[in-house]
Amino acid sequence: MAKKLKEVLADAGISMDLQSGGKAPEMMVDREVKRAPHPRVKKLKDIYMDTLSSANDEFTYWYTREYMMHDSEIPVIRRAKALKTAFAHSTPAIYPGELLVMRKASYFRGSFPMPWLSEGFYMAHEDEFYQEALKRGSASVDEHSKFGQGGGNVTKSFGKVVSIAGKFGVRQEEIPAMLKLAKMWYGKSVDDLGNKYEKMVPEYKTKEQIMRSIICMFDSGYTLPQGREVINYYYPLEYGFDGIIKMAEELKAKVAGKADGDGMVGMNRLYNYEAVIIATQGLQKWVNNYAKEARRLDKITKDPKQKEEYKGIAERLEWIEHNPPRTFIEAFQMIETIHLAVLNEDAISGMSPGRMGQVLYPYFEQDIEAGRITEDEVLELLELDRVAKTSIDCFASTGVVGGVLSGNTFNNLCVGGLDKDGQSAVNRLEYLILEAGITMAMPQPTLSVLYDEKLPEDFLMLAMEVIKCGTGYPAFMNSRTAQEFLTKQYGVEGMNLEDVRAWAIGGCLETSPGVWKPLHLNGKEYWIPGGAGQPTSVGVHFISMPKVLELTLFNGVDPRTGEKVYEPHNKKLGTYEEVWEQFKLYWQKTCEVLALTNNIQHDIWRKNNMAVINSYLKPDCLDKGHLINELGYRYNGTFSVESAGTITLVNSLAALKKLVYDDKEVSLKTMKEAIKDNFGFKDAREVNSFSLADQEIREDAADKWEKLHFKALQAPKYGNDEKYVDDILLAWENFFCEDATKYESLYGFKMYPCQISVSTHGPMGSATLATPDGRLSGTTFADASMSAFPGTDRNGPYALLNSAATWDQAKSQNSQLNIKIHPTATRGIEGSKKLLDLTRAYMRKGGFHIQYNIVDSKVLQDAQKNPRNYRDLMVRVAGFTQYWVEIGKAVQDELIARTEYEGV
Amino acid sequence: MEKVLYRDARNYVPIDVIKGIDHLTGQTVMADKEAPKDYEAMPKCKNCNSFKAEGEQMGICEGSMSDPKFFAYPDMVAVTCEMYANK
Ligand code: SF4
Repeated sequence: MAKKLKEVLADAGISMDLQSGGKAPEMMVDREVKRAPHPRVKKLKDIYMDTLSSANDEFTYWYTREYMMHDSEIPVIRRAKALKTAFAHSTPAIYPGELLVMRKASYFRGSFPMPWLSEGFYMAHEDEFYQEALKRGSASVDEHSKFGQGGGNVTKSFGKVVSIAGKFGVRQEEIPAMLKLAKMWYGKSVDDLGNKYEKMVPEYKTKEQIMRSIICMFDSGYTLPQGREVINYYYPLEYGFDGIIKMAEELKAKVAGKADGDGMVGMNRLYNYEAVIIATQGLQKWVNNYAKEARRLDKITKDPKQKEEYKGIAERLEWIEHNPPRTFIEAFQMIETIHLAVLNEDAISGMSPGRMGQVLYPYFEQDIEAGRITEDEVLELLELDRVAKTSIDCFASTGVVGGVLSGNTFNNLCVGGLDKDGQSAVNRLEYLILEAGITMAMPQPTLSVLYDEKLPEDFLMLAMEVIKCGTGYPAFMNSRTAQEFLTKQYGVEGMNLEDVRAWAIGGCLETSPGVWKPLHLNGKEYWIPGGAGQPTSVGVHFISMPKVLELTLFNGVDPRTGEKVYEPHNKKLGTYEEVWEQFKLYWQKTCEVLALTNNIQHDIWRKNNMAVINSYLKPDCLDKGHLINELGYRYNGTFSVESAGTITLVNSLAALKKLVYDDKEVSLKTMKEAIKDNFGFKDAREVNSFSLADQEIREDAADKWEKLHFKALQAPKYGNDEKYVDDILLAWENFFCEDATKYESLYGFKMYPCQISVSTHGPMGSATLATPDGRLSGTTFADASMSAFPGTDRNGPYALLNSAATWDQAKSQNSQLNIKIHPTATRGIEGSKKLLDLTRAYMRKGGFHIQYNIVDSKVLQDAQKNPRNYRDLMVRVAGFTQYWVEIGKAVQDELIARTEYEGV
Repeated sequence: MEKVLYRDARNYVPIDVIKGIDHLTGQTVMADKEAPKDYEAMPKCKNCNSFKAEGEQMGICEGSMSDPKFFAYPDMVAVTCEMYANK
């Protein structure tokens, strides 16, 4: 048997033990905190746990049928009509025991294709459309992405079910229609039209090469064009659907035929208001269909309790079809409806409910006071919401849903933060939201605490309890750091101190702008926060930093494919500075080309596929009469450049600097040979493990590279509070945060840096050769942007925090640090206090985000061997929590390998 | 009355592509299993007056306003189609 790296190192007296700060007990240790949900919720959760991700054609069919009828109509009206017809024809699906109803499609975990965005990826691989997508590079990443084999993923076709994109099950009876509908969009989708015009960018060929080499993970304008933002529920809550229509009718009359000084788009306000009316009517019909179904179910049901519940559902839906909600449960139903409506409008991940506890608080406060609801009933509803949100799927390609999202859709619920007047915004409902995170441990909504020193201690301690469930939430986000970033980025758009405080997280950990609006309920006024910005994590997606370094070392050629990506630099790279300078030039070339091509894709999106519903929910679209495409939002400078593989790059640069340039232990030529030869190891895919320790040495390599590989592994590594390598991180951050602002979005605003990796460290690692830090070909990069590479942080968690806080994190939209801790290290109240101290220490140093996996690595190892026993096991991946069995193997391996802290 | 599969029955709500809940009994049932004899059929295009079959899983919706008439597929649920009329 071929030797594994950990055995080779053990022979040399080097331990690859991935524990730090002590020794974990021999026995597997379970998580400390576990509680059960209400019985009805448990039943619905049980259904979910046994549900396959399923898709059908219904929405797609009606949208297409209507859209194709109006080819001479104004685009925004055409889109609104198509949406209206699609919503009006969605078959209602209500399940016994539900109190909050409505679904994306008529399945428990349903979704549907949106060929108006992109259609090639779900064609058969031999189909010309799919081949075309491969050529463009947009399908390359699919080949490097894998879904987890368990849970609800339909990874293979069976019986009468066809597997699409390795995840979605579609009934055979629907397939011919699905393909026919897709083909109707050929040449018309945002993907196809975008491609037609992006080809006019002079360096388009470089872009194709960048995509094919997986230097960039995926295009932006047609994949998930919206999301990573905070929704705004204010208008439906304050005015109801009838009120919104009335408002739009009045404003329409006011602006008809008037430019009001805006000769470019002033006249468009008329059509935009008309579109708002049309789309809202579609939503009303959708709600009405559900109400009718609830009435029908009431008639056919015998169980008196269930009958009453169907009646209650029908009454609530009939009310909110027209009016603003009056009670907590009506308001909750209203926001569930709105949330799903927006998710059906576009392919979206990361539509965050935001500070939902503060939005619903007025209803909670008044219902509790009047005795209309108990806290226990509220808790039950919050638990039900967790089933509903976890059931949200997004139909997209393998590369996007598997490689990036790991099947999650990031509906992030934030608690805490400051109110309009700068005081803690925590309320009693937010305690219950945390409580529901314990009693109903499911991946969504994932929870984030917007940390501020003013937050109550008992609230923070409760958050620690939730973390100890091992669910991977809540994450801690630093309000102060975020607010500095927001002031800097949105100052030009007039953001004031009040608005700065209304922020929340959109998606995993994207700082998103918000506003306060006055909600009126029974004569009392409440200021509630909500989103007011365009989508984030759009623009230049995930650039693989280690891959750019690889291309720097290999003169612009991808050694994996042999294809030329960049113009050769023909430099000797005789000094470390020369490597660094050239790396930056290739980085900039990548950003430059991708910013231009993605701007074109988004521009096609805004012309033909603009948001109508999501738009009018967000201030100030209704006031201005302009939707997202005409800068109707209060904050529009939301596009970014995303990095991936930060720490693998930093460690690689440190190893090059140390071994090649400072200590001159090896020549660059030899280092490159070793990289090409994978330090004598097999490729990770051949081994079928993506963690470094498990890689197997090739028999033909003998000990050719052994010495050099040891040195590479022992070169300075990030995460140990070591200046040598932390200075490299600092240099990168200073460069990146400044450089990102040089690219302009289609909306005319400068971009900013975004440092999340989601799951990209898996597929991107898969397409990258060995790196100078000793990482081997095909293995994952370090996760997130501030997490250490597994097993390399040797000096304890506080040293890791010091390394991460080397740079000014307020310069970036975010950063991301995940830590794995053994459950024994955080036992009891003392353990919770220590965890809070650790978190606070990082926040006080200006760190933006920290999150923990409180889990015994042995449990993860066992779960990989016996997935059937662990359907319920959840882990924190990058910025989100997901079921273990639904995560691809590469990321599973990386999670197992992460350093496990035995003490904090 | 003709026998119907659960997935073609009015009181079946799909959980996913292979199973669903029988609203009359509250039980989880398989989509492709036969429902009891007296179960009402689900309105689907294939049961609609306006549906004209063309090939096995494809057809035309005669009720469509487009020119030429838009296609329809037999398996599509039609409870929300206002033009649905039983064959
Ligand atoms: S009228 Fe409606 S139900 Fe009948 S075939 Fe056309 S789409 Fe189907």
